[in-house]
Amino acid sequence: MSGLLARLFSRREAATVPSMDGVLRPNTLLDQASPLVALPEPDNLVQFGSNLAFSSGNDVLVLVPDSPAGSPPELFRRFESRVTALAVSSQSVLAVGLDGKGIGLIGGAYDGLALDQIGGVPAKGPTALAFADADTLIVCIGSAQNGPDEWQRDLMEMRATGSVWKVDLRSKAATMLASGLAFPNGVLIRGNRVVVSESWRHRLLGLDLAAVKAVPDIILEDLPGYPGRLSEGRDGGAWLAVFAPRSQLIEFALRERAYCLRMLREIPKEYWIAPTLRSGRSFREPMQGGAVRVHGIYKPWAPTRSYGLAVQLDTDLLPVRSFHSRADGSRHGIVSICEWQDRVVFASRGDDLLCTLPLDPHSPRDAAR
Amino acid sequence: MAVMVDTNITSNSSLSRAREAPSGNVSDALVRFRHRWIPTHIVGELLSKSWIDNIVPAVILALIVIIFGSIVPNFFLPANVSDGTRQIGEFGFVVIGMMIVVVGGGIDLSVGSNFALGNLLALALTNMYDMPVAVVFIAVVATCSFIGLINGVLVGVFKLRAFLTTLVMLIGLRALVDSLLLVYALDISAGFYDNAIWDFAGAGDVFGIPISFVLFVVAAILMHIVISRTRLGWHIMAVGGSRRSAHNAGIAVRWTVCLTYVLSGAFCGISAFFYAARLGNGGSYPGVGLEVFALTAVIVGGISLGGGRGSVAKAVIGAMIVQIINLGVVQLGLQSGAGQLVLGLILLAAIGFDVRWVKNRDKILSRVYMSPTYFALPASPVTEAGSGSPFAANDRLGKVEVHGLGQLDGPEDVIFDSAGNLYCGDRLGNIMRLEGPDYKDASVFTHIGGHPLGMAIDREDNIVVCVGGMGLYRVRQDASVEKLTDETNRSLFSIIDDSRLRLTDDCDIAPDGRVFFSEATTRFDMASWPSDALESRPSGRIVCYDPNKKTTRTVARNLTFPNGITLSHNAQSILFAESWACRISRYWFEGPKAGTIEHVIENLPGYPDNINRASDGSYWLALMGMRSPALDLALRMPGFRRRMSQEVSIDEWLYPNINTGCILRFNEKGDVLESLWDKTGANHPMITSMREHKGRLYIGGIFNNRIGSVALDGADKNWTGPSSYWGRT
Repeated sequence: MSGLLARLFSRREAATVPSMDGVLRPNTLLDQASPLVALPEPDNLVQFGSNLAFSSGNDVLVLVPDSPAGSPPELFRRFESRVTALAVSSQSVLAVGLDGKGIGLIGGAYDGLALDQIGGVPAKGPTALAFADADTLIVCIGSAQNGPDEWQRDLMEMRATGSVWKVDLRSKAATMLASGLAFPNGVLIRGNRVVVSESWRHRLLGLDLAAVKAVPDIILEDLPGYPGRLSEGRDGGAWLAVFAPRSQLIEFALRERAYCLRMLREIPKEYWIAPTLRSGRSFREPMQGGAVRVHGIYKPWAPTRSYGLAVQLDTDLLPVRSFHSRADGSRHGIVSICEWQDRVVFASRGDDLLCTLPLDPHSPRDAAR
Repeated sequence: MAVMVDTNITSNSSLSRAREAPSGNVSDALVRFRHRWIPTHIVGELLSKSWIDNIVPAVILALIVIIFGSIVPNFFLPANVSDGTRQIGEFGFVVIGMMIVVVGGGIDLSVGSNFALGNLLALALTNMYDMPVAVVFIAVVATCSFIGLINGVLVGVFKLRAFLTTLVMLIGLRALVDSLLLVYALDISAGFYDNAIWDFAGAGDVFGIPISFVLFVVAAILMHIVISRTRLGWHIMAVGGSRRSAHNAGIAVRWTVCLTYVLSGAFCGISAFFYAARLGNGGSYPGVGLEVFALTAVIVGGISLGGGRGSVAKAVIGAMIVQIINLGVVQLGLQSGAGQLVLGLILLAAIGFDVRWVKNRDKILSRVYMSPTYFALPASPVTEAGSGSPFAANDRLGKVEVHGLGQLDGPEDVIFDSAGNLYCGDRLGNIMRLEGPDYKDASVFTHIGGHPLGMAIDREDNIVVCVGGMGLYRVRQDASVEKLTDETNRSLFSIIDDSRLRLTDDCDIAPDGRVFFSEATTRFDMASWPSDALESRPSGRIVCYDPNKKTTRTVARNLTFPNGITLSHNAQSILFAESWACRISRYWFEGPKAGTIEHVIENLPGYPDNINRASDGSYWLALMGMRSPALDLALRMPGFRRRMSQEVSIDEWLYPNINTGCILRFNEKGDVLESLWDKTGANHPMITSMREHKGRLYIGGIFNNRIGSVALDGADKNWTGPSSYWGRT
């Protein structure tokens, strides 16, 4: 009877998402950032010596400091498949995650080392890499089923099969630090702690580098978007790229399993009710009520499947400042952030652009005050 | 001659659609079956009726009749029934009076004493003074009304507390009656009044029905009309619902409240008159506790003590419930007090239920009213640029000339009169005019109200316009506005009252002057069009207004958001767009196929809006938005859409994608010839209408703030709408 009533009157709670408020109050800072390089799908920004390395498709490119504005980046290396993750060690060893291949190392003592298996299973596509020390690499595998490019499918299938590994490069031995994660998609080393962003559960987790923990600490939760890459910031701070927003409609679609599975089966990916790095390019995409153009204006607060959001974290990994590109903005899908010289560089994969803002001369703590 | 069209067309086509549906699996078939044959939307329509509140007391009444009928011996004996109905009649008058006071936001506790006073007066005037019956009746009613007037002046005009004031009146009057009885009781019981009318009032029947009950029914019907159909009744309801709002609306709140107490007193008097005639009881107990019974009846009937909500029907049901329980308990031979106990318990249950009902009715209604149905569309035609399809996206509207930018707000339709002036409606209810030849500036031509939508020019160069939320209007060249029609014939089997036009959308005029216009939906208001889109239920219709006979008749119903309408070039049929069904249909009003509907274009890649004539004998069609695969899939999963409407806020709903539209041209056979798109959406993200005029095409959009125009290659430079329709240049 109660089941019938529940069906009749839909006693399920309304689909809600946390609002962007407080530190995460929307602004247009990302849209004010000056463009640095325009090229397809930039991702994986890392500081590589004094240069800035990043990936675009199968290429790893570098920008040298003080090059004239608008000058094209230099090609560092071209791979046979898409670059999914980059990391640089203190000895300037570059670790490269490759879609469908595994991990390759370039430079230093481990030049040419290839990790195609981790813990006995093929490492199809790491979502994030970080060096804990010169000989230890931390690897995030987003999902056991879906590769990094299939992240939308992984979310809509409600998978939680991601894992985090510690790989000893000397012996190639891998230790699993955590499993059953819903798309670990960013990693940051904090002394003895490994901070991992768990995208589909909208939170940051703390793992122990030395031991396998049964229950990870929750550092930050209830984020209004899907957290992605983490990177080091000045004065012990950090940067978090939130690559897509959560929305009521998507949360609702996730509950509707029958609809969701038919959608995955019958509809092309770009037209799904799913978060994306860039929306609004095609009239066949799903549109929501608040997004109707009135008087030719697309409202900044319109419900959207893509968004630009970069969050600056303090030493305790609490948000202190945020940079937004709202529904009507043109810097969506921020997948990677990196401090470089006196600037911070954002990779907007949704809008095929690297853009940059000068770093605030004050430390993040001061800025918060 | 306009002939009624049945639903056959729609159902046939839904079968054919189902065959073409891309993934018609078993569960799909089940969903389709359930949504075709189980009309769940009726639940919401029933709940939206105001009389639905009566269901609960009516059920209680039926239960009580059944229970007492089975446990009380001789319950249905004619003598018992006759006696019972006579008492219901008497009691019912008091309950109607009480109901009026309660609906007006007050309470009248003095009815018991007032009743006793009336009874005493009636007996004194008859037994002691031998007055004529008519004088007695008038004197009793006047006296009781006067008591009501005292209450009314104190409560209404001087704003004393209703409860305390009438309580004081209850005690004071009772004391007065008791002291009068001390003096006159002997004289009253000693006297004798021999009068046939008086006896008839006390024990007479009309066709076997007690006279008091007959008069009670008559009074109930009269009061129902007063409460529900007259200014006074509406004022009482308004005052009870919200004194402040009623005051702000200009209602004389104090005197309206006062009047409710006078009415209550008057009904007390009538009741007392019949009671006195029946029993001739000069004792001290008549009317004792009557206020409690009357209040119980009112509340059990479902009338809110908070005021503003109630009806005579409820009062009647409540009166019957209370009286049947009273009599039943007496007939059962239970101890005195048991009746009150039973009544008290029922009262408690009724109040509890009333609170829950008032609190939750709107919630339930808002949850169940929206009832999406199964609707399968075949895969959308190709629209990719360069695909060679007639729908292929292009940028032919990229360089439009913009007119009236920022001066217009929602030009849904655009039209030219024979002098070449351009007119459009706006969101504020104005008709705007842009003067040729460059149409730079817009000025207010006239004001109607609502949101003027589709327009047509008649033979005398007047603008006939469909006004969303108001009806069909005509604007003359001197800018005067007149209403043509705002209601049509009510459908026989429709639960919701569909006589009033809610969302008139577009119109066109036949050569004989008849105006055919569409009403997009009868289930929702204009602002709730997204709900109708989500339902995709055929609830719209086409209506014909005949200016010669001044009649308005529905000619076709069960259409899925009928939107744009245009007269075919041979003037024998109208073409109309069914937006959510993504198709163009034709309704023949003359010729051999008169009265039938046929489909002209099916499976458009977007949602069609207005249709208008083109100079070369074809037609222009605006697509206000494009189909998205995600919504097309949702249309085959009604449960998904229903839950979405309940769990997701409306701004986050999955909508038809109306941020991109385009213009199509099609011929009489329904072949699509070309399409015009605004690729960037800079000027015309959504297009609801277009009108060809002297070689240019003028474009309007309901959410836009401009009109655009673009030159047409190879179009007749002299062609205008009025010349095509009425042969004038």
